[in-house]
Amino acid sequence: MTKPLLEVKNLSIKYPIWGGVLRHKVNEVCAVDDVSFTINVGETLGLVGESGCGKTTVAKSIVNIHRAMTPGVAQEGEILFHTDDGPVNVLELDRSQMRSLRAQIQIIFQDPFSSLNPRMTVGNIIDGPLRLHSGKTASERRERVAYFLERVGLQPEHAGRYPHEFSGGQRQRVGIARALAVQPKLIVADEAVSALDVSVQAQVLNLLQDLQDEFSLTYLFVAHDLSVVHHISDRIAVMYLGKIVEMGDSDSVYKTPSHPYSQALISAVPQPIPRRVR
Amino acid sequence: MVRNKSVSLFQLRLRKFRRLKRGYYSFLLLFVAYLLSFFLPFIMGYRPIVLKYDGHYYFPAFASYTYDTFGLGRSKVYLASELGQQEVNGEPVYGEANYRELKKQYAEQDQGNWLLMPPVPYGPTEQFLEREGTPPYPPSLSHLMGTDASGRDVLVRLAYGYRVSISFALLVTVVAYTFGTTVGAFLGYYGSWLDILGLRFVEIWGAVPFLYTVIILASIFQPSFVLLVTILASFGWLGIAYYIRGEFYREKNKDYVAAAIAIGEGNLAIIFRHILPNALTPIIAFAPFALVGMISALVSLDFLGFGLPVPTPSWGELLRQAKDGGMQAWHMVVFPLGALFLTLQLVVFIGEAIREAFDPKVFSRLR
Repeated sequence: MTKPLLEVKNLSIKYPIWGGVLRHKVNEVCAVDDVSFTINVGETLGLVGESGCGKTTVAKSIVNIHRAMTPGVAQEGEILFHTDDGPVNVLELDRSQMRSLRAQIQIIFQDPFSSLNPRMTVGNIIDGPLRLHSGKTASERRERVAYFLERVGLQPEHAGRYPHEFSGGQRQRVGIARALAVQPKLIVADEAVSALDVSVQAQVLNLLQDLQDEFSLTYLFVAHDLSVVHHISDRIAVMYLGKIVEMGDSDSVYKTPSHPYSQALISAVPQPIPRRVR
Repeated sequence: MVRNKSVSLFQLRLRKFRRLKRGYYSFLLLFVAYLLSFFLPFIMGYRPIVLKYDGHYYFPAFASYTYDTFGLGRSKVYLASELGQQEVNGEPVYGEANYRELKKQYAEQDQGNWLLMPPVPYGPTEQFLEREGTPPYPPSLSHLMGTDASGRDVLVRLAYGYRVSISFALLVTVVAYTFGTTVGAFLGYYGSWLDILGLRFVEIWGAVPFLYTVIILASIFQPSFVLLVTILASFGWLGIAYYIRGEFYREKNKDYVAAAIAIGEGNLAIIFRHILPNALTPIIAFAPFALVGMISALVSLDFLGFGLPVPTPSWGELLRQAKDGGMQAWHMVVFPLGALFLTLQLVVFIGEAIREAFDPKVFSRLR
């Protein structure tokens, strides 16, 4: 049974370039150009590409934070999210409608250092989405925070600590707990393991997979490292210069890439045994 | 189970500040002096701390102090007749008792009545004209720092002036910081046309010459504490707004802000709960220097005669008297300037220590 959870249709995103005395729009950069893909319930779609190809832009567009962060950004096309009450276009929602949808779409950020507010305790950070969406009392929420801390491999006592007391991998676990706290349907993992070193990467990837089984999550997994994406994804989409150039099953894209850019990406994956012929 | 107490960045910085002895002790000294200055009527004043008359105890300093300072209204000034004082030097006394003469009278009468004056038994507006010649009188044993041109004790006026100066500077800083922070936060967070218009307004406002504005306003309105605080704060917030705006521009593009948006926080919560605590570091480090600026500003305004209304005790006003007297009275130059220098130096020591303790490179958020 394949039911779509998220359908991105002909998404184009243009950033304005401001200039002149009155700071008007003098030009624009087309970061994402006519991108379409579908993610089915329970699957993981890997989105790969080099830096600057627009994959993070797509990810941020799905959680709809461009409008608030980048004034003047132009987003065309549709991002259909299938809620229980039918599909809604994320890009057309107003603030309050979007707010109620946010409990269902969450994001994990790349940089575990800047994505956690240094002035908030870890408990407060994870409590944020619960406070806004769960409607639970403070003591119930404290229990949930403790539960999710444990679930991502930290200890409940860590709730009172500040982010600067944690390592990069631990911080990323906090970020995962924050995304997980309201039990969303879709988690957009924006380069979630790119900033971590390889052994920690493996731990976090395994954690993400365990959580997917346990909470029946759907992932959009954005990364530039094809081997990581291949490990976790059911399907892979390859992005290049704002367009999707190839999409297919994880294994087929990884083993028999058809687009020259995909071939180049795969040849760049480091080999455990370097002399083996690729 | 051992649970380590977790510490925030702010607590770490506070600990560091405590370890910087020079700044920390300067802070303690100024802080304790400021606290003590609220009990000045019991240290320097013309009302007795305790008075016993006719078997009853009275606390004139406390009674009138609570009345003056806190407006409680239930206390009072003791009339001369209540305390058994009929005449001073052959003239009848009306209104409040003359405690200095009363002390002599009690001593002469020897009826078990007595009163205890504060250690320095002079009030800030009390005039002492009994010496030879005309005031200002140079320092003597009874008036350690001499008296000013109206015969008022310089030491007492300096002490009361300290409370006025620090209160004034603190109040201006708090008002300017609150307003500047709010404006800067909104400009920096929302950006675009609000920022363009707001910043132009700040620039135009900043180009208005401060001193002329004060002079003009002081000639229209009677200068008062509140008016001066308003004027100084209305110019002091500009720099703060600039700082905070810049910090917000930097901070708002960080992922933790994106994360706050993604969990559905409202704009006000993002501004004040998420970004503001991260944007405050530079203006906290700047605060002691702002305080220095405000203390000096008040001294200059008082010196120029556009400051607090007479007879408020103030350092700048003492200097003005010295200048008007042709700089003959050295004690009215040396002591106020000494007090000013000492205070500013201590505040600068505090500022240096805070700057060092809040150095973002030490407990960097991006280690």
